[in-house]
Amino acid sequence: MLWALGLLCGGPIAAAPLPNESASTEQLPPHPGPHWVWVNDFNFFSMADGRAYLVDGDSGRMLGLISTGYSYNSVLLPRSADLIYSPETYYSRGTRGTRSDVVTLYDPAHLQPVGEIAIPPKRSSNMPMAGAAALTDDERFLIIYNFTPAQSVSVIDMSARKFVGEIETAGCSLVYPTGRRTFFSICADGSLLLTTLTDAGALASRMRSAALFDSMKDPLTEKAVRVGEVWLFASFQGTMYPIRSTPRGVVLDAKWPLVTAAEQAQGWRTGGLQHLAVHRASGRLFAIMHKGSLDTHKNPGTDLWVYDLRAKKKVQQITLRHKAGSIVVSQDAKPLLFTCFIESNVLDIYDALSGSYLRSVDSLGQTPTIMVTP
Amino acid sequence: MSAVENRPDMHKVDRLVEALAREMARRISRRRLIGSLGALLCGASALPLLPVARGAPAATGPAVADAGDPKSCDYWRHCAIDGFLCSCCGGSSHSCPPGTEASAITWVGTCHNPGDGHDYIVSYNDCCGKSSCGRCLCNRNENDKPLYMPFMSNDYNWCAGSQVGIAYHCSTSRIVGLSK
Repeated sequence: MLWALGLLCGGPIAAAPLPNESASTEQLPPHPGPHWVWVNDFNFFSMADGRAYLVDGDSGRMLGLISTGYSYNSVLLPRSADLIYSPETYYSRGTRGTRSDVVTLYDPAHLQPVGEIAIPPKRSSNMPMAGAAALTDDERFLIIYNFTPAQSVSVIDMSARKFVGEIETAGCSLVYPTGRRTFFSICADGSLLLTTLTDAGALASRMRSAALFDSMKDPLTEKAVRVGEVWLFASFQGTMYPIRSTPRGVVLDAKWPLVTAAEQAQGWRTGGLQHLAVHRASGRLFAIMHKGSLDTHKNPGTDLWVYDLRAKKKVQQITLRHKAGSIVVSQDAKPLLFTCFIESNVLDIYDALSGSYLRSVDSLGQTPTIMVTP
Repeated sequence: MSAVENRPDMHKVDRLVEALAREMARRISRRRLIGSLGALLCGASALPLLPVARGAPAATGPAVADAGDPKSCDYWRHCAIDGFLCSCCGGSSHSCPPGTEASAITWVGTCHNPGDGHDYIVSYNDCCGKSSCGRCLCNRNENDKPLYMPFMSNDYNWCAGSQVGIAYHCSTSRIVGLSK
């Protein structure tokens, strides 16, 4: 009756009014969920305003954001500390004035800075990629690639929260950790520079390998993925170069093809900004693939090809809902696969085992680059 | 290293780096000596080939030898560019917009000019000191190499070498020599 009366009166039923609400701020659990993903955005159209977005892959809900300054690369997620590490660059007047580079430490529950380590204002500004900064295997030292354009790395002691020193890497670029105190950089002639640190983070030794690949005829993309002691690098023409760290240095394992001769003739090749991902427990490698000429190594892909790393064979092909330039996969038993593309701002989420599309998250930043999972 | 130096392909790199070094020397000289004779000579040497590139376009009319629209990503000189075209931002294919500074050093590519049939070494100097122009984004990657080959990589922000800092505004495509 009341309902009918409400209609007759031309208005909704008079119900108890909604309670007042107090202003509050959400708080995240201290440990990340297995299907969370960080999507880094270097905001190419306004580079002073970099961001990193945190998304829950199960719900497709954006959980929060951190503001990360000029020419942003990526967050780093240490397993041994409830912190987020973020190498950042700022100018005192936005895009001019005094430059200051820092490693900011964020509390993962509040996404607020809780510490800051000053580093030399030399951090490389480049298209974001994982090799621009990395933690040693025990997560004691953070190594950041510098380009001024002189090449070096900054070494930061994350336990003491202080900058330790700078180590020259002339002719060699980026950082690929191989142990507690070792990492390598790639040199222009196709050799690798293996740097060993002391326990204090100073230079202990440097060793240059022979050329492991022909950097002019078939360069390796620098967007590698790591599986245990092996870094996997794909060449422009589709050959996988497994580079293994051993106690005596780095060696090249047997190369293997990502594409057959017929597929290569059709123009299939891998490309993108973060074009490889590995699910370690299942030994599955995911590669973004497209058809194109040799100079399309940065093009997004229409498909993901899935390889069994033990058999070194393609075992699955996933046609993507949207073109992708970046992929990352969670490392749990029911992994999710995330894809994005710098010229779009949509995050797509797939079941990594079946390849089934699950959901998308739209309007995520301006120019999303590389992604990180816990 | 010697094995690398003996490779025929590396001669091309040597030429590119040589052109880059000469260009860098010229730029540093220009900053120190206003109206440097060397800079004038370098500019003059390109005039017979491409009058529009270094000279005043109004004096000569349309130059068939440099055909194409510098505001278009398809323009021949942009064959390895990655960024916002300065021609759309108040500059040109070889000059920076007002108030920005050309990076002292940069990456170089080799582009084929269909207008005269020559291959040119093109220097992709970034213009620096302001926020992104945001217009005419263009990414072409002919002979682009990874970050570990810096002088052949368009993935660096070359404002790293400028006096005004790393704020990237736009990119130019300047001819710095013939590729022989």
